[in-house]
Amino acid sequence: MTALLSIRDLTVTYRRDGGEVAALKDISLDIAAGERLAVIGESGSGKSTLALAVAGLLPASARVDGKIDWPGLGHTPLGGRDIGFVFQDPSASLDPVMPVGKQIAEVAYTHLGLGWPQAYAKARTLLERVRLPDPDAALHAFPHQLSGGQKQRVAIAAAIAAGPKLLIADEATSALDTIVQAEIVALVRQLVAADGMTLLFISHDIALAAELAERIAVFRYGGLIEIGAARQIVSAPRHAYTSSLLDAHLGLDAEPLSLQAGTPT
Amino acid sequence: MSSPLLSVSGLTKRYRRGVKIIAAVDDVSFHIETGETLALAGPSGSGKSTIARLVLRLVEPDAGRIRFEGEDFLALGGAALRSRRARLQMVFQDPLAAFNPRATVARVLDDPLRVHGIASRQERPRRIAALLERVGLTPDLAPRAIHEISGGQRQRVAIARAIATKPSLIVFDEAVSALDLSVRGQILRLLLDLQREERIAYLFISHDLGVISAIAHRVVILDAGTIAESGNARAVIDAPQSAIGKALVAATPRLNRTRP
Repeated sequence: MTALLSIRDLTVTYRRDGGEVAALKDISLDIAAGERLAVIGESGSGKSTLALAVAGLLPASARVDGKIDWPGLGHTPLGGRDIGFVFQDPSASLDPVMPVGKQIAEVAYTHLGLGWPQAYAKARTLLERVRLPDPDAALHAFPHQLSGGQKQRVAIAAAIAAGPKLLIADEATSALDTIVQAEIVALVRQLVAADGMTLLFISHDIALAAELAERIAVFRYGGLIEIGAARQIVSAPRHAYTSSLLDAHLGLDAEPLSLQAGTPT
Repeated sequence: MSSPLLSVSGLTKRYRRGVKIIAAVDDVSFHIETGETLALAGPSGSGKSTIARLVLRLVEPDAGRIRFEGEDFLALGGAALRSRRARLQMVFQDPLAAFNPRATVARVLDDPLRVHGIASRQERPRRIAALLERVGLTPDLAPRAIHEISGGQRQRVAIARAIATKPSLIVFDEAVSALDLSVRGQILRLLLDLQREERIAYLFISHDLGVISAIAHRVVILDAGTIAESGNARAVIDAPQSAIGKALVAATPRLNRTRP
């Protein structure tokens, strides 16, 4: 399988309080064209920095060593056209004073060379694809008129408007309730399959990652701890840290903590 | 039989949205026994947080009764309400938003001890150190600013502040939702230890059924401001009867379910 992108010896350093902090340390990994890869980790693991580095969205003050090649693309990617990005908080990524139809149409207008009428027609189709209840009304709605889940659907429509090869979702469902989260995850899975996109899914939730992704990469303190098939990571982790994450996961069958053996705090 | 620690009956709160009146909480009744954990679960907008605010009397209900420690809690006002608040504490999702970020840890813990007249000025530093140790922190954290410490440490400080006034009930509103997995487990264990030792009851609001099955004795599942079902946490999560209960269980991510 060809790699869509290939990350080699990637180190990202932020300047903070006069010192330097390495947010990513010496990361090498390939993302295959058409695969669903989840990157999981806790705060400070570097998972979001990885997403920003792949998308070319790191702040100018970050120092980047190593390289990212795009053999599956054949050229340097352009954000918005070749890479769609969905963030955790759709309110922060959508313009509060622009109708959502225009925000989606703008992507098609800018990157696909469509005229405005065609761009709006495309926006309407996309609102239908992300299953907004009334796409015609939604075209003219402002973000504040939509629920959190609906806003995230709009953000996904804008992210895929130019037909990107890679869709990055950075904690895109973390602020949503469980039921809406499941709906958005199902939507992402369906869109990625239908359009043949590659998915980079950043999450703190190992169970959610295991349900959605074919492969999981586990990050901690800016380093890649292990990477493997989702089933292997969940059932036969090679690294003690991964095991500790699995132990800390509280599933539906979680035994009451009062009955569990464990060290008191 | 003695009356429950907290009993809520017919609780109703309506909000006006444009020309429409929406019942955020509609005729909700439940009770909590001493030393018990009752969880409130439900999707966004189901009324969980509004119930927490009503029980804490941060907002006033349109109808219903709340009895707490044998008293008509809604009839209390002024000094009587302020003094009873010591017995009913709260911990929210984001302690950075709940506290003055520039206050020191010592200041955050000093306030309740002073306001409720629990310890004299001379005695307070010792009490603050003891509270920090009780929640698994070292006393040398006292002079640090709230914004300087980690999210897990902040939530421990919030718990220390809540137990400072020796409450019989603590309301937790998504208090562990923003924490890393490893930290979350430690905090949940701490809550369990405190409950066992001090017989504190918890009203525990969470959207996460995994957390609820680990910590709660009973659960109330809410949908659009009303109770869809309630019962033993294990029994409800194993075999939900209501449509919303079934939807919540089905939507919860599982480690061993890989979809095609």
